[in-house]
Amino acid sequence: MASGKKQSQQFARQLLELSLVDGAVSPEHVAGVLAYLERTRPANALRVLRAYQRLVTSAIARGQAVVEHAGSINDRALADIAAAMSRRYGRSITGTARRNDALLAGLRVRVGDDVYESSVAGQLAQLAAAV
Amino acid sequence: MTLPLFLAAAQGAAQPGIVETFGLETKYIIMQVVSFLIVLGVLYKFGIKPVTATMEERNRKIEAGIRHAEEMQAKLAATQAESAAIVKQAHGEAARIVDDARKSAKEFLDKQTQEATAKANDLIAKAQQATQLEHRRMLAEARAEVARLVVTTTERVLARKLTDADRAAYNDAATRELTSV
Repeated sequence: MASGKKQSQQFARQLLELSLVDGAVSPEHVAGVLAYLERTRPANALRVLRAYQRLVTSAIARGQAVVEHAGSINDRALADIAAAMSRRYGRSITGTARRNDALLAGLRVRVGDDVYESSVAGQLAQLAAAV
Repeated sequence: MTLPLFLAAAQGAAQPGIVETFGLETKYIIMQVVSFLIVLGVLYKFGIKPVTATMEERNRKIEAGIRHAEEMQAKLAATQAESAAIVKQAHGEAARIVDDARKSAKEFLDKQTQEATAKANDLIAKAQQATQLEHRRMLAEARAEVARLVVTTTERVLARKLTDADRAAYNDAATRELTSV
């Protein structure tokens, strides 16, 4: 059982490698992988698909900088942040804006599991934690 | 009694008269002597000797009884002396045991008192520590509550007071900060 799960994870990782182009998830390649899976129906297909979905989601999140903001943010600022994150991680990262009024003012950038924040809400939270 | 008469008769043989006077004849005298000796031997063998032996035996028994009584008396005296010594030793031993018991009881009491004092001090120290911890915890809770109220109030005030221009300026500053990371 554990061996089958491990094999499914390994197979999903191999499929993910096939889905990447220059370190980014390619929709065309993902469609090709899904078509392959539908055609061949490997053992434990459902488990493989779940693991593949999780890996693809994680890869997309790693290649995407979600910029939460309160107030307006222009495209130039979004592009500057994406470029800074691409330089930092050494891979192509695209920026996606998402409004979050709970921040009061400022930005919160999320790349995969990493979070960078410069917001009034964050500073107030730090103040509360320091007290 | 017969023998003196016979001797007197022998001494006075020259003088006629005594033997004849008393009618003594040798054969009768010898016969009487022999009879006397026989009677004496029989008496000695069956009367005097057993009686003498019985008396000697009784005397020996009496002497043995006396010796035994004396020995018993001596033994009794020795036993009494030994008993007295044992009683005296027992009294001494009992006194020593009582002293030891008193001493042990006093030491035990002192030890119990010391332990009770130590426990009481420990309890007091723990109570003081608990009080201090409770005091600190209350202060921390009060501080956290005050901070939460300040932050909540500030958030409400800022959410109402911040204009779009303020937010845009803050966002520009945040962009510069995040791109310089």
